[in-house]
Amino acid sequence: MNQQQRDSTEPAYEVVWPLGKAVVTPVDLAPAILDLNGRTVCEMWNWGFRGDQIYPILNEELRKRFPDVKIVDHQTLGNTHGPNEKDYVANFPDLLRQHGCDALISATGA
Amino acid sequence: MRVSIAAEKMSIPAVSIVATTFLAQARAFAKGLGSTDPVIAEYPGVPMIDSDDQLRDKVITNLLPRIIEGWSERTRKTQRNAERTSLEPGPRDIVFKGTLQQVQDFFEKRLWADGLPVIPPTIASVENFLRYTDRSPYEVIGICKPEYREATIWNIAVNGVMAGCRPEYMPVLIAIIEALVDPKFSLEDGGSTPGWEPLIILNGPIIKELNFNYGGGVMRVGRRANTSIGRFLRLYMRNVPGFRIPEAGLKFVGSDKASIGMSFNVVLAENEEAVSEIGWVPFSVDQGFARGENVVTVQSVVSITEPTYSAGSLVSNHMEIIAEVIGHALHYRAYNGIRDSKWFPLIVMSPSIAKAIADGGWSKDDVKKYLYDNVKMPAHLVEKYARNSAMNSYDLKEFVASGMISSEYYESDDPNRLVRVFIKPEMIGIVVAGDPGRNQSKGYTQNSRQGVPVSKKVQLPAKWQHLLRYFE
Repeated sequence: MNQQQRDSTEPAYEVVWPLGKAVVTPVDLAPAILDLNGRTVCEMWNWGFRGDQIYPILNEELRKRFPDVKIVDHQTLGNTHGPNEKDYVANFPDLLRQHGCDALISATGA
Repeated sequence: MRVSIAAEKMSIPAVSIVATTFLAQARAFAKGLGSTDPVIAEYPGVPMIDSDDQLRDKVITNLLPRIIEGWSERTRKTQRNAERTSLEPGPRDIVFKGTLQQVQDFFEKRLWADGLPVIPPTIASVENFLRYTDRSPYEVIGICKPEYREATIWNIAVNGVMAGCRPEYMPVLIAIIEALVDPKFSLEDGGSTPGWEPLIILNGPIIKELNFNYGGGVMRVGRRANTSIGRFLRLYMRNVPGFRIPEAGLKFVGSDKASIGMSFNVVLAENEEAVSEIGWVPFSVDQGFARGENVVTVQSVVSITEPTYSAGSLVSNHMEIIAEVIGHALHYRAYNGIRDSKWFPLIVMSPSIAKAIADGGWSKDDVKKYLYDNVKMPAHLVEKYARNSAMNSYDLKEFVASGMISSEYYESDDPNRLVRVFIKPEMIGIVVAGDPGRNQSKGYTQNSRQGVPVSKKVQLPAKWQHLLRYFE
């Protein structure tokens, strides 16, 4: 308590914290991939914010740099923000394994 | 971000493309999912406004190099979240001691307040609230996304104190948070850009026991029960799930991305006497509860219609105007409901309107069926409104072909064909409240799968009546 507080005739309130305990399991970043040749890139889209225009441009450029890259596009992988989003996210690991995904892009937003 | 973090857990390097305005929210989401260093490729600016050439340039100049770097230049970092969360206070720890104004300043700097003065949450004041529940203060009711924080009886009481609630409101506060953390509600979508605001609808004898307003000005601030409990919910959403508005220059991330937003709704209490007099059932009965039970329903509201007046003794007078005005106001947002096959708009009807309709022999179900059958809009407008929001490839034909929505939405190629605005009659909510002396209704637009109505019974402590009398 500072001097101003000690001199004050106002009551002092001892207050508690309004938040709750965070129950977060830390996640490590996956190892790096240096060369995409011979690897599979999976492209996820939430059907918003022009991802359908962004991806064709990206794919063209990725293939220039990595001619042997395989790309599994968003049409194959489906909508990450569709009406059954919760089920989609729950089954998502199986989807990535099924397509042999080595690297992933997720678009667009948050 | 959810799919990116899921991929990282599988040791698959992931990069998320995030537009500038969503960066703070993306980091807040990632933190709650366990990643303090999400790999993000920023799309600079507003993708929905850029020309095709601008978009192309930004993809090649900004996104591409950052994506390649995001996969290739990363070190395996041990996240420091566990260490950070162990430094957070325990529920009964005193985090600050000071005068009323000093407490305000302390809470404001940490974004624990809502712009209004808070009642200092002392242990004594919190314990007063705890008298009104038989549940353990440390009971975990659920986990609040996106920050993944525990909702407990204790922190409900803390935020109730802060919001200016009375201790005897505690059973209602608990039921509200039980609804909030129910997975069906989709709390994690509480910070989306439409800026929806939860609305609490209350039924049961507790309305009168705790002196809620259900008459004139029912949706105005003024009556302590309606107002402080409405405020409590928004304050709780800031503090525990973490829906704070990101502020430039501050170290705190925030996951409230409301573009313009709206502020807290006071509690909407139904006029159950009026409902009984006309032979209708209360809203809580529509939600599956017995008449006379104390029930809280929480649902999202994204916009409110004009106050809509309808006159005369004929049902058709009222229903035509309600369909034309309130139904038409709901056109804009129909694209979400159609895509999701769920949408729960709410109509608040003054008792005089409800009585006129009931006197004409109509039940609430008849009202809902009429609206379902008669409120329609041109299909091309559904697609136009969707494509101008963020869903640039929204296509009713594709949705029908994939089985995502009913074939009724694509019965021909005619862009002017009329399609239904409401999804199912039973998804339309009707609450009777407001000035009984005025012929007014209002529509409350809900945000489809975000903030789906969830109803919970209010659990009263064993000595409820005694406690109410003791603190009179």
